Amino acid sequence: MKILKLLAHIFVPHESNNQKAKILHPSGILTLAFLVVSFQLLLNFLPKVFPRVLGYAANISPSEVVRLTNEKRVQNGLLPLAENSVLSSAALAKGNDMLAKGYWAHFAPDGTTPWSFFTNFGYRYRYAGENLARDFSNSSSAVDAWMNSATHRENILNGNYKEVGIGVVEGSLAGVDTTIIVQFFGTPQNAAATIPVAQAKETATKAPLALALSIPTLSPSPVSTMTPAPTPTPTPGPEVGTAFVSPFSSTKNLSLAIVGILLLVLSVDLIIVRRKRIARIGGRTLAHIAFFGMILAVILILKAGEII
Amino acid sequence: MRNFARHLPHYLSLFGILIAGFAGLILFSYDKGFQTVVAIATAASYVVWGIVHHYLHRDLHLEVFSEYLAVAVLGLVILFSLILR
Repeated sequence: MKILKLLAHIFVPHESNNQKAKILHPSGILTLAFLVVSFQLLLNFLPKVFPRVLGYAANISPSEVVRLTNEKRVQNGLLPLAENSVLSSAALAKGNDMLAKGYWAHFAPDGTTPWSFFTNFGYRYRYAGENLARDFSNSSSAVDAWMNSATHRENILNGNYKEVGIGVVEGSLAGVDTTIIVQFFGTPQNAAATIPVAQAKETATKAPLALALSIPTLSPSPVSTMTPAPTPTPTPGPEVGTAFVSPFSSTKNLSLAIVGILLLVLSVDLIIVRRKRIARIGGRTLAHIAFFGMILAVILILKAGEII
Repeated sequence: MRNFARHLPHYLSLFGILIAGFAGLILFSYDKGFQTVVAIATAASYVVWGIVHHYLHRDLHLEVFSEYLAVAVLGLVILFSLILR
């Protein structure tokens, strides 16, 4: 009974709370703000005590991205791609390059092309392509986003590709904690061609423009200019899948919970005050609902994931 | 509803502020500095809207002001926790 009274005091307009839910009083709202700040301080403090507790990409694993990609291909009547460790190392190197140089694009600001990562790792390709994604909380949402984009979908469902490599990197990109997924597609030079040579040549001429638009890029292998393949020495990325708490996801979930509860309490308050015709001094409930509604929309959309 | 209709011009301006804030935060989703400014501007505009609205309706009190301020602070803290994380 006491608990029910306490809950009513906190969440429902009542005599005990001066006809306004205690959580909607300035003191209640500021307590929630204090809770959010405390949680952020805890997230900043935790890694110092338990270094392996926090991680950005707890739910993204390269093998899962490969599995989902192949699932989409099989569903569309194509052969699955073979996971290639050299391509994966090249994709990881591309991801680390983006973090190191602070860019989010297919081409680096210094002119480094995606294809240079293929050749640097000794992957002699007949066809090559790249899909990029960032800030997705799990593998399936990233693959779904690619499938919903015509150009990225074209890459995933391209019958010319035989192999795939995935690199997942975590770190700060221009000051923002980020998880980047690099998906490299390729067909080794020695693989049997699946399309007529004439058609392949025609497509290859469109390569530079196609890349910028994330359209599957078909390039002839630069045999004459290729340097001997170096031993792949990818920078070891953070171990993915071992983190227990994702700082961004947990912050997002806490924010969603607080705003969700407040919107519910405000809606109940609006109904009860109207029905009982309660006169009181206070802010406009409808205005607060609009404000928190905007915050809710931002939480749901902000950094929900981006692909290029 | 009658109350809402009476305050319609006020609410339209409030929705304008919130939509502008939302658009700014989403369109510049990878410009942290600009997002921070937009978040502060939106929260401050909300408090100012509350002051003007209640002043015009002659029911502006310290409790009302502190309520808008608390709501704006909570909104700002939540936005900062996401933008700066």
